[in-house]
Amino acid sequence: MSRADKIREAFAQSHGAHWHPTDAYARAVWLGTGLVVAGLFLHQVEMVLFGVPLILSVLLTNKPKGTPTVSVRPVPRGAGAGVVHTVAHLDGADAEIAVVKLPGVTKAVPAHSPDLPVRIRRDAWGPGIDLRLDHLFAGPDGMHVYGPIVGTEHVRTILPPVEHHPSGPLPPRPAGLVGIHRSPRAGDSTELRDIRAFQPGDRLKRIDWRVTTRTGTVHVRERHAEADAEIVLAVDTRTDVGADVALWSSPHYGATTRPDGSLDRAVRRAASMAAGYLRQGDRVALTDLSRPQLNVRSGVGRRHLMRIRTQLVVCVQAAGWSSRVALRKLPHGSVVVLLSPFLDDEIAELAVQTRKHGHVVLAINTLPLPLKPDRETPWGEVAAEMIAAEHRQRLRRMAEHGVAVTREC
Amino acid sequence: MLMRLAIVLAALPVALVLRLDSGAVAPVVIVAVLTALSALMPGSAGPALLIGYAALAMAFGDGHPLRLGVWIMIPALHLIHVTSALAAVVPVKTKIELAALKAPARRFAIVQAISFGVAAFAAFIPSGPNIGLVELLGLGALTVVIGVVALRI
Repeated sequence: MSRADKIREAFAQSHGAHWHPTDAYARAVWLGTGLVVAGLFLHQVEMVLFGVPLILSVLLTNKPKGTPTVSVRPVPRGAGAGVVHTVAHLDGADAEIAVVKLPGVTKAVPAHSPDLPVRIRRDAWGPGIDLRLDHLFAGPDGMHVYGPIVGTEHVRTILPPVEHHPSGPLPPRPAGLVGIHRSPRAGDSTELRDIRAFQPGDRLKRIDWRVTTRTGTVHVRERHAEADAEIVLAVDTRTDVGADVALWSSPHYGATTRPDGSLDRAVRRAASMAAGYLRQGDRVALTDLSRPQLNVRSGVGRRHLMRIRTQLVVCVQAAGWSSRVALRKLPHGSVVVLLSPFLDDEIAELAVQTRKHGHVVLAINTLPLPLKPDRETPWGEVAAEMIAAEHRQRLRRMAEHGVAVTREC
Repeated sequence: MLMRLAIVLAALPVALVLRLDSGAVAPVVIVAVLTALSALMPGSAGPALLIGYAALAMAFGDGHPLRLGVWIMIPALHLIHVTSALAAVVPVKTKIELAALKAPARRFAIVQAISFGVAAFAAFIPSGPNIGLVELLGLGALTVVIGVVALRI
């Protein structure tokens, strides 16, 4: 055994998951004995009397045995934000006092007290640690301790919340069976889509003879496709910025995303829109613009909504800057909802290109506006105004190319 | 914080007794420094130094061996020891339930009852430097105590 191992072992003897004596024990033994012995030899009865209680306190206490434990009743992992209640069960064995670090407060209680109520606050969505009950058990008079023990971490994942938006006036239809977003493709349904001039490849049975006779040129009737359009929620996870420009380059601690930052807004809107579309019967897919491997294929139903919300959390965990953004394997004629702060030209270019490929593109700006300039630098206000102007220009250019843009979300 | 406050409160009569016993300010200053050390670092040697210093100061002070100050000091020094021991295992900002202190309080009372019994016994036995029988009894009892403690360690 090396010297380092010996030192480590000696150090480990003084703490950890076993009963070990404290300084108080050594003090009681050595000081008590010393006072009594010295008092006897020096004929000082006071010293003997001061030493007697220390020795008695050692004699009246035994070294505790057994393994005290703290256990927690499990709490639901996927529950939403808010306050969750559970209890911690103490099994004190021979201990007398239990010191437990509960959320927000450390408590010293009798080791055999009934279950301790535990209140867990879940403030933000995303992954996190619900509870870690660090604890220590003390024997009689704190002469021996068991611990301190680092408690087991109880992790949880809170899914992004869903806000229910009104769906607007819709014709009566069987809810949940078909979507409301018709595919722009032509197909074989019975609903008329367009009447246009005959092109090579058109079937003869589609010729509209009435229009052909009236106009003198051959026309065909075009019908809608049987399928609905697919909704593709495309989330830009490359940046997470808030309204305060000064904080853009500094990391945020304590939550998965900046509260009310661009990524937080994007995820919340994506979850809410997915819920809304799925409730209407549409097929919804999820795309991470910079990490295509995290995409979720289109689907319907409540389980699909859970899948999308869970994957949104995964996307946010993997969020970070990426040099390229891409929308791959888009179903023909799909409705693309692009959620981004639109802070670079590449994302605007992607929106325009997607529109040019025949998709309906809805761009939702997630940048919190108005921007707050950095007060610590004389250029802060100018910089913020430049960013805002470029941002406005980018949104305007997208709108000019047929992308539906929402400036606030 | 409660246990650290208890250390300070237990040290107050110690300082007062030493001040009245010696009539000087120096013991009070020393006790104050050691009390502050004990309250801030209850797991350190501070409590041992405080108890040891007060015991020696009283033993080598003037007056009857069983004067009032000694009777006050017996529970006070023991209380410093117990509160320091508990404060060392409890973090500073800990909410201590009073029920958790019930067992230590009961044990404190038992120890004090026995200690006062020993003190009363000491008041009745003859005193002086030539009492060999008492020393023999004391050493014998101490040997038993050391043996018991050694077996436990």
